[in-house]
Amino acid sequence: MGFFHENGERHALEGQPVTRLDRIVSRVVLLAKLPGNKLRSEIAKELRAHLEDLAEEARSYGYDEDASARMVKRRFGEPQEIASAFASVYAPERLAKRLAQAALLVITSTIAVVIVIGTVQSIAAICTATSILSTFRDIYWELFGFGAITAGYCSLYAGERLFPTSLARAVLPSVTVGLWLSALFLWLIPQHAALPLAAFTCAALGRLLQRVEIPLVWFAGTALPLLIAWALFGRLISGWQFPWLVWLGLTICCKVLREVVQFLERFVFSESFA
Amino acid sequence: MPFDRELLKGSIALLILKLLSERDMYGYEIIQESLRRSQEAFEFKEGTLYPALHQLHKRGYLRSEWRTGENGKQRKYYGLTAAGRKAARASEKEWVFFTKMVNAMLSKANP
Repeated sequence: MGFFHENGERHALEGQPVTRLDRIVSRVVLLAKLPGNKLRSEIAKELRAHLEDLAEEARSYGYDEDASARMVKRRFGEPQEIASAFASVYAPERLAKRLAQAALLVITSTIAVVIVIGTVQSIAAICTATSILSTFRDIYWELFGFGAITAGYCSLYAGERLFPTSLARAVLPSVTVGLWLSALFLWLIPQHAALPLAAFTCAALGRLLQRVEIPLVWFAGTALPLLIAWALFGRLISGWQFPWLVWLGLTICCKVLREVVQFLERFVFSESFA
Repeated sequence: MPFDRELLKGSIALLILKLLSERDMYGYEIIQESLRRSQEAFEFKEGTLYPALHQLHKRGYLRSEWRTGENGKQRKYYGLTAAGRKAARASEKEWVFFTKMVNAMLSKANP
């Protein structure tokens, strides 16, 4: 259809020339934040067919191209308005999808943390010629630490997604989760709360400093809270002889969690962030 | 006669269900048909019509399918499901009762 064509541009979705109609449709679909590519393309196709009908009607009145475009735009209405109406229709699905994605992120991250810390502890046991089983005798307390690392990293990631333009706001979810975890740990494990809380701060700070362009600066993010906790509370885990291993474990965790997040963004979450 | 468009928004589900109870239609056709029947008083805006169609579809009142017309164009047709027919009858009854009550109130207010 030559009616609304503009020269030289191509439509990204269907390989058709970009038209003013396509721009309107793309804007609606983009602003509506629809959950899922299938739904997006379905609605885009439906609205496009509608706009083509409007354009055909305009042509039947003998309007020239510009007058027709104006008529179509006027009759169709503001893309923002339509997008906002679609957004509220599909709000429950969008929320469900976000929650499922959050659950997937938390589960995957926790598994990654358990694997990393478990591996570091096992290697340490082998290197020091001690029983691997004996290094896991504090596993009950460590479970809180695994959860805290995941919570620290994921809460900051969630903050970045929710408030991509404001760093001050981006740390709010971490601060909130951190306060709740502090209360929970001090209630459940008052004698052993220091390490998981330090681990939480390490992970959150590690994620925060991963944004800094200078390579490996986030190492400091995992070291600083640990050093402070160490200075305040002394040996954090009974029988732990190598505090630098705790730092190493946390640092590798931050690196692995970054890879996990990037993997999920690329292959699982990409549809939602399109 | 000009009227508050919120009145139309509030009754859009009923009007859609009523129109589709007669035959399957696509969005543009629904707009044209409502214009024709209301003597151009009711013009559904796309921002109201399409989200309402999708909402009714989600509730299970509508089914939809893509059909190719005589001119080769594909259009998404909507039709009523059994639940939609039931909802259409219920909404119509409700509307008749409501307008009857409003008319009764107005006639007493202006004897």
